Amino acid sequence: MSTKVPSESRPIAPTPQWLQALLLLAPAGVWLALLLVIPTLLIFELSLVPNIKPGDLVNPSGLGNYWRIFQSDVLNVIGRSLLFATGTTLLCLLMGFPVAYWIALLSPKRWRNLLLLAFVLPLWTSSLLRSYAWISILRPTGVLNTLLTSLGLPTLDLLNRSPAVFIGMTYSLLPYMVLILYASLEKLDRRFLEAAADLGATPPQAFWKVTVPQTLPGIAAGSLLVFITGLGDFINPELLGGTSSMTAARLIYNQFLGATQNWGFGSALSMVLILAVSLAIALLIKYGDKNASSL
Amino acid sequence: MQAPSKSPLRISWQALFSVLMFGFMYLPILVLGFYSFNQSPNSAQWGGFTLSWYVKFFNDSRILSALSDSLTVAFCAVGISAIIGTLMAVGLARYRFPGKQLYQGASYLPLIIPDIAIAVSTLVFLAVIAVPLSLWTIVAAHTVFCLSYVAFVVSTRLVNLNPHLEEAAQDLGATPYQSLVRVLLPELMPAIVSGCLLAFVLSMDDFLIASFTAGGGATTLPMEIFSRIRTSVKPDINALSVVLMVASGAVALIAETIRYRSEKKRLQ
Amino acid sequence: MALSSCGWTLAKVQTDQVRQGASDELHVYTWSNYVDQELIDAFRSQTGIKVISDVFDSNETMLATFQAGKARTYSIIYPSDYKVSQMVKLGYLSELDHSRLDGLQNILPRFQKSVHDSGNRFSVPVSWGTTGLIYNSEKLTEPPTDWNYLWTHKDKLTRRLTLMDDVREVMGAVLRSLGYSYNSTDPQQIKQAYEKLQELKPAITTFTTDAWRDQLLAGDLSIAMGYSADAVNVINQNPKLKYVIPTSGTSLWSDTMVIPKTAPNPDAAYAWLSFMLQPEVAARVTERLFFATPNQAAFNQLPDTLKNNVTLFPPQNLLDKVETVAPLDKSILELYEKYWTKLTSS
Repeated sequence: MSTKVPSESRPIAPTPQWLQALLLLAPAGVWLALLLVIPTLLIFELSLVPNIKPGDLVNPSGLGNYWRIFQSDVLNVIGRSLLFATGTTLLCLLMGFPVAYWIALLSPKRWRNLLLLAFVLPLWTSSLLRSYAWISILRPTGVLNTLLTSLGLPTLDLLNRSPAVFIGMTYSLLPYMVLILYASLEKLDRRFLEAAADLGATPPQAFWKVTVPQTLPGIAAGSLLVFITGLGDFINPELLGGTSSMTAARLIYNQFLGATQNWGFGSALSMVLILAVSLAIALLIKYGDKNASSL
Repeated sequence: MQAPSKSPLRISWQALFSVLMFGFMYLPILVLGFYSFNQSPNSAQWGGFTLSWYVKFFNDSRILSALSDSLTVAFCAVGISAIIGTLMAVGLARYRFPGKQLYQGASYLPLIIPDIAIAVSTLVFLAVIAVPLSLWTIVAAHTVFCLSYVAFVVSTRLVNLNPHLEEAAQDLGATPYQSLVRVLLPELMPAIVSGCLLAFVLSMDDFLIASFTAGGGATTLPMEIFSRIRTSVKPDINALSVVLMVASGAVALIAETIRYRSEKKRLQ
Repeated sequence: MALSSCGWTLAKVQTDQVRQGASDELHVYTWSNYVDQELIDAFRSQTGIKVISDVFDSNETMLATFQAGKARTYSIIYPSDYKVSQMVKLGYLSELDHSRLDGLQNILPRFQKSVHDSGNRFSVPVSWGTTGLIYNSEKLTEPPTDWNYLWTHKDKLTRRLTLMDDVREVMGAVLRSLGYSYNSTDPQQIKQAYEKLQELKPAITTFTTDAWRDQLLAGDLSIAMGYSADAVNVINQNPKLKYVIPTSGTSLWSDTMVIPKTAPNPDAAYAWLSFMLQPEVAARVTERLFFATPNQAAFNQLPDTLKNNVTLFPPQNLLDKVETVAPLDKSILELYEKYWTKLTSS
């Protein structure tokens, strides 16, 4: 490797370490502080003001907004968000694991990347367009029901009800689950499976005793990602849900850009959402550490 | 699940299930494509082949301006994030300093916090400092999560890099700046590119943050589509989805080919 | 970042700081189906100004987005008459300089002396109509005549029915069906309306102000609650659809055009107002987009089929039972909104 001789002959003063660090970290740090940290603190302050609309004076006066969260209708909404998120996570796991397994371990090696890419490609179309497609499919006079009637089967009333939301959410989040599971399964050492087979394990036994424990970090990471994203999902419940699928994200949206203007309550709900998500992650890190140390 | 067998005739149930899942993934795309060529676009019956919806789409100034707004936001946000996100990842990997945990935590926050919370807090912040909303406020808001994603992807690659490369370069007389740009950057380039692609897709797809931070007539594509779904959908949206799908497929294919070729070159 | 108790004002709309916009662009914030491409092209050929219109579906969302930071975007907004008085009280609207407007005298007297803005100081009426039920006469052999039809025929209509996504219209309609006023301020009555709505809720597909049009035409719905202007629109596309003004009463709405104080392009705004007041323009718009015009000179230019269209221009006897939506006290509005949130959250 040829050394390039600097054109100047006088020695350049070395850039001090702290300046290097500052130059690297300051731009992003300032951006994050301004547009993430300070705004979060602001909505925390706002959450302490009951019943505030734009134009009102901000006077943090108490936890009224947080107490409101314990009223039955709001708990209902939060419960529903949790239900959608959990259900979607389970569905994505059940549907995504076989696909990831097949692509990672059973498919021809040179097609692997292409297959993965092909599975994930629909993510690149706008999620709104894909939800709109589901509307067209699940409508009373949509593709699905037209197909069912032509086959002589009864129609399904799926749109504007919970099933449609589950379908939409699972569809949106399945590629992410498959990606993460694939990364985990790819690293699986096949010799373990061979050893298990040699020792007389049936395929289900090998699966539960070898594959799953080895891919537990991937399962956990994928589930967490899907769960968190599902918890904050706005579009699928809004477009596919109908009258009985108000979720936390929609409720927050309505406090700011909808008919009920209550920026304080919306901020409180946002804080609760942030806390819930942080809790989930903290649990995962704690559980993940325990799991890693026990292996 | 047995170890893979060499017999070509055995098709595992995982393969069959995966085919089904592929079908599931592409069903909405196919439906949109079907409608985009269908003479009667709202009925599930085939009414005749037509390209009129594509013509309508290319004449739809609102959709095209929304598309251009989205692309502008995405390119600007990703451009800025590529630089400062990479710098941040390098800085975090290299240096220890008081408050590093806090800084690192803050850099992961955008990956964790739900979009709606980010959108709401940004809106309140902009209202407090009385900055009028415009296309650039969207860029500023998008840069936040874009730089987090770029930094995340780059940092996973940094972990696997030989830490002594830069040291060696500096021993040979390179300034820190030179060692960063000429030694580290090429090694990180694949990660930066995939981080940028990820950030680009997320920025194009974002609805909530854009809704809350857009102003001055700026409308992104998701905002326009949402507004249409809630009022009245014109059929040229189907043509739009097919165009987007084909474009993203082409980009993905090109990206994959480049990656495949560069990996082949590396292994030679 | 201390939690200061020296309060700061949240998101105050800065009416004194106006950002100058491009002089050949006009941003309009309006209802769906009020501004179409032909109107934009006609305005452009007359004045050279390009119009970009954004859509909202209820007055409340319009005000919410306006206060949430979009105030500096729009030079023309289309609030309903009752919202105008609220916006005036909040100090958002600029007083109209009548010398710059040509044709205000053509507006029907009852819209010139509206209780919400007498003398048209802040607003120019652009349309009026009623709220009612649009139904598919092929699917419903027994035609509806009143709001209560929705409850008595709940089983037949279940999952084929939508109501508007508008707290005042829906609560008001249910209040009327109980025999109370559209603008009731009695908490007991409002509670009753909420409970009656909860009864109907399982049958409602979704709350929507605009999307029902495509769904009704496609056959996904049998009946929808909607505005008369939209009704005429869909009836034109499918004559089997019919519109009915409920006998227990409904709302008579009127939409207006206003110029907010934060308008980036007031000159273009005045040009738009004058343009829309021209009788030929108003008449053509009514012919194309089917909302009733309050402009007498424009009405005279309409073809007889439209003049005699009962849905568009209901005769006086049908208008006996209508009420206009009235602005309400803040505390009562909060009560409405509280029940609305409960209704949509359950």
